[in-house]
Amino acid sequence: MAELSAIKLNAESQILLERPLLGVPYELSRKKFATARREVDREQSFLTKTLSSASTTSDPVSALDTLISRMANLKRKLEVLQAEETELQEQSKARIEHLRALERIPTVMDVKYDEWSRTRLNRLLVDYMLRSGYVESARQLAAEKGIEKLVDVGSMVECLRIEKSLKEGRTAEALAWCAEHGKDLKKLNIHLVFELRLSQYIMLVREGKLNEALMHAKKHFYTPPNEKYRAVVMKAAAMLVLRQDVQVEPYLTWYSPERNHDIAAMFVETHHTIFGLPKRPLLHIALSAGLSALKTPACHSKHTSSSGNASSAASTLCPICSKELHELARNVPYAHHTKSHVDPDPVVLPHGRIYGREFLRQANEKLGTEKGMVRDPTELDKLCREEDVKKVFIS
Amino acid sequence: MEALLEEHAKLEKRGNLAKTIEDVQRTIELLQSARDGLVANPSPSPKALEKLQKPTKLLNDKVNSDLTEIYKAQNSYSKALDKKFTGKLYMDPDGDALASHPHLINQAISMHLLREGQFSVAATFMEEAEAHPRAPEPTPGTPDPYAAQGEDKRKVTENFNAKELEQQFSDMYHILRELRTRRNLTPAIAWARQNRETLETRGSNLEWELCRLQYVCLYKNEAWNLRELGQTGGPLGAFAYANQEFKHFHRRYARELQQLLGALAFNENLYDSPYMSLFFNETAWEEVATSFTREFCSLIGLSADSPLYIAVTAGTIALPRLLKLQNIMREKRTEWTTEEEMPIEIPLPPSYHFHSIFVCPVSKEQATDENPPKMMPCGHVILKTSMDAISKGQKFKCPYCPGESIPREALTCRF
Repeated sequence: MAELSAIKLNAESQILLERPLLGVPYELSRKKFATARREVDREQSFLTKTLSSASTTSDPVSALDTLISRMANLKRKLEVLQAEETELQEQSKARIEHLRALERIPTVMDVKYDEWSRTRLNRLLVDYMLRSGYVESARQLAAEKGIEKLVDVGSMVECLRIEKSLKEGRTAEALAWCAEHGKDLKKLNIHLVFELRLSQYIMLVREGKLNEALMHAKKHFYTPPNEKYRAVVMKAAAMLVLRQDVQVEPYLTWYSPERNHDIAAMFVETHHTIFGLPKRPLLHIALSAGLSALKTPACHSKHTSSSGNASSAASTLCPICSKELHELARNVPYAHHTKSHVDPDPVVLPHGRIYGREFLRQANEKLGTEKGMVRDPTELDKLCREEDVKKVFIS
Repeated sequence: MEALLEEHAKLEKRGNLAKTIEDVQRTIELLQSARDGLVANPSPSPKALEKLQKPTKLLNDKVNSDLTEIYKAQNSYSKALDKKFTGKLYMDPDGDALASHPHLINQAISMHLLREGQFSVAATFMEEAEAHPRAPEPTPGTPDPYAAQGEDKRKVTENFNAKELEQQFSDMYHILRELRTRRNLTPAIAWARQNRETLETRGSNLEWELCRLQYVCLYKNEAWNLRELGQTGGPLGAFAYANQEFKHFHRRYARELQQLLGALAFNENLYDSPYMSLFFNETAWEEVATSFTREFCSLIGLSADSPLYIAVTAGTIALPRLLKLQNIMREKRTEWTTEEEMPIEIPLPPSYHFHSIFVCPVSKEQATDENPPKMMPCGHVILKTSMDAISKGQKFKCPYCPGESIPREALTCRF
């Protein structure tokens, strides 16, 4: 019997998983607005300054020309931001509508839920592809499915670009990003900037530019963010006098190529934290929960199960037993059940195979078994007389 | 969501830079007219610029208040967001059992894309995934089956032949398209005939179902490809078709065959005949399409619906409960002890139950290969471990009825 709790769609709890869907465009639009504000502030203060010192200006016309062209420039920038902002707002709207559609579906058996869930799978796939750096696949899938407004290609591509630059040992892009997100970094207490400066410092020392390294340290390491970094600064200072092949930590790690990858990973994690994205792709999280929820001890059993193999007459193949997921599911725990689920009116064949009586009858009709005999639809060589089929009690 | 939608409408109205841009434009116009005035005046005074201070300041203030307006709109939208997503779910489970098998995930995705008929996305994906495989991250606590084999450098497509699978699915979609949109049964019948033996051992009726529909189609003169079929329409054509094609079905579908041929007598008033349901079934085409898809996928060892889709859907149904549980365990600093089994039951809809589940009424454990169900002569079933514990190898009483037996008499069961 289908329990109502099992088929009722709990939209609220599923929507809880979707915070990033609305969070990302919001964060992006907040950033756009912050940029607008910065641009405006700069031009306004230039304007005020120019006008207040106007009495000393020898050429007021050209001063005005400068002001006009700078203001026009500001206007252009604002117009670009406005267009981007509108796009983000349209995205948000499409996403709210997408989530709202879920709230209107009563049960998980509804065809509309099927459709909705397929769209979600496509979203999760695009997210997974982007996180893995498979940008072209992600773009194509989003375009084919018409879900461009529901996925964050732009911001992820940006994240990938910076990640790649860090892996290649460039820090400029990441530092620019940090400057834009300074407030968030501070709020979350993440010292990515310091790590990036440290990377630059290590690079200078490695290249033997000790003077520059010293200047760099004076400029950036004068006030370390906390005690831990105070110690790091001390160790960094020692680098100026140590040999580069020193076999002691932290220098081993600092000089190793791993350092770039660690920094890149730290950047990606920071990026995801700021945008409220889970560290791991939601596809992983959902898939591993799903594998467990569906997995039964029978899925990886060495015996042939009545619903586990293609030659069986049992109609649908279990998704965990299907080729795609079988290996992947080997490592996850199987579902917990407190009650047996078997076909109604179970009977047992002499060799121990149990079926629902009606299922067995239908299967044998399809198989065209001769009258008075019963064939095991899973192991077709097992044939017995009808009276040897016995009732079995499963509680 | 309604409340959020309202907030968003407000944001769209108030949270944009249109006004700001307008006011910047007014500043530009102000500066421009001042410049024009200076140029027109043969002896411009430096004071002219100072005079601009006041009006530009006013405009600056205006721009700033425009921006504050946007800021307020964004804040209020953000509050609505927070309100909607109150329950904070810690979204990052400790162990990501899948992270250690990136190539298996990529493989599952490739197969999913192929089976959904998205061949070009699949091709791009396999190319990108092979050029840049994800690095496996062994998860603590879960066995890493590849650890022994050293670094995992397998390619996405190693466990399946992508080309072959693509060909198979493109065949499948071709046949389905012919069925669904062109109402052409010929390719489907040809496929079923080719795989007749396998289908019959599976106990599948597919070929019969298809041929039967073809007969009905001819009878009702709805077949548009008569020339291709080499038949004429109407009951006569149907009769000729039956004579030609139904020989093979005589034994197995004798009764239905009689009905189909019997219907020939009701040519004039088929609608009132006892065979009406055979001939006027609106979902017949969709039914054969579904059963064709199922058989086709089964024959290549795949389930009819995408496993990735089913698993992810089941996962999202399960996740809120699992994450909540994890949050509780995190707070209480406990862990569940049985690694093989999930700690809580996840209610899934009946269509997500594929195997029979046997839970021992005595021990409440699930049957496994090592611990199979045993049926006592009285017909009650318990797990082997439970029976061993009760009987200790001796004659014992069934826990559910007065029946007595010895362990040797119990029959090992399978589902």
